[in-house]
Amino acid sequence: MRGFELVHPASLDEAIKLLDVDDPTVRPFSGGTALMLMMKTGVFQPSILVHLGGLEAEHAAVAVTPEGGLRIGALATLTSVEHSAEVVRVAPVIPRAMKRLANVRVRNVARIGGNLAHGDPHMDLPPVLSSLGGAVTVRGPGGTRSIPIEGLFSGYYETVLTRGELITDVTLPSQRGWASAYLKCTTRSADDWPTLGVAVSLKVTDGAIAESRVMVSAATEKLTRLPSAEAVLKGANAGEDAVARAADAAAAEAETIDDARGSAEYKTELLRVYVKRALGEAIRNGAVQ
Amino acid sequence: MDSTSRQIRFTLNGRPVSARVESHLDLVDLLRRFDLFGARESCGQGLCGCCTVLVDGVAVSGCLTLAQLVDGKSVTTVESLDESGELSHVQQAFIDEGAFQCGFCTPGFVMMAHELLKQNPDPNETEIRDYLAGNLCRCAAYPEIIRAVRSAADRMRPA
Repeated sequence: MRGFELVHPASLDEAIKLLDVDDPTVRPFSGGTALMLMMKTGVFQPSILVHLGGLEAEHAAVAVTPEGGLRIGALATLTSVEHSAEVVRVAPVIPRAMKRLANVRVRNVARIGGNLAHGDPHMDLPPVLSSLGGAVTVRGPGGTRSIPIEGLFSGYYETVLTRGELITDVTLPSQRGWASAYLKCTTRSADDWPTLGVAVSLKVTDGAIAESRVMVSAATEKLTRLPSAEAVLKGANAGEDAVARAADAAAAEAETIDDARGSAEYKTELLRVYVKRALGEAIRNGAVQ
Repeated sequence: MDSTSRQIRFTLNGRPVSARVESHLDLVDLLRRFDLFGARESCGQGLCGCCTVLVDGVAVSGCLTLAQLVDGKSVTTVESLDESGELSHVQQAFIDEGAFQCGFCTPGFVMMAHELLKQNPDPNETEIRDYLAGNLCRCAAYPEIIRAVRSAADRMRPA
């Protein structure tokens, strides 16, 4: 690594001001677990890192919203989210997914906002949080806006965040009546980055699927929603037949990509199997009360 | 002296220390300047756990921690565990169960085992496996390591 300047803003506004420059080597730095890898390999050589640790007191809380959803401060560590009693109650799929997300030490320092802003398509939380209907609140030089997580990513390691914008909160609607599951497949070793991540959420009313969200990551260039699989599920009985047809629709629709973890063709077959398994698991898990 | 270096103060194994630290230095390399070699860089990517240290009581990978960011914090390394002159229960359990061959990964496993037992004094095998999943032992002493953690839990239980 080469030398750079590490600056410590005392407020969100000061951080935004520091980041509102036309220079890609000036970046925000929170847990740093992902950026450090890029810096060590020379993929990223910063001139200034804007360290957000000083904002933790105000931007790391986890709270249940009046509507029964969740508001999670962007600087909450993944460990604090994993063990939050509120998260366990409102969205139990999140702590289940955390068990196999990196490891305890990384989860101790990585922040939920950084995890999303990094734009890495292999991350586990973007599919999970988007399948729950999650959104991020973003603040920048132009003010505050809300972006659905399914629309946050514009490409491989690219997001729709603009100059000086920082994620301040992750919000989730109430999950009452929704059943969710996340499954990933690692093909090289158990702790490898996923080759495929599939997150599904279903709203089942009287045995029929009223609504669903089916998300795929890692096997595609960016987080991708699969509306054709959702169309198959809509109105169908929550059983094996609908699950198998949705899996076929997902495989037909997703644009998987080749990389060191497998060919596009292979990942399409993995997707077919994992959509089937994830839907089955969500149905077995049952709805959040 | 590089212009991006700065003087930091922190607590190292209970003692106040200070150091002039370059921006790109990581915590493992900083510890070497204090002749502490228990935290080792192996993978350099936060995957293997050989560089496990505590920062303000939280287990982190030293290789992913910028040294400047421990300014004002408390850093605890494996060397603190036997400062009383006696090995900790976890260390003794690792020896008694033969939970290593080459020993390179052992300080990281011992630190993580201490953290696990602090949070969960009576972990079952699944909980031990989950917690230690981010520590790699290339000698594959995993069965003995799991036994050692169970044994340490028994030794630490109040009589």
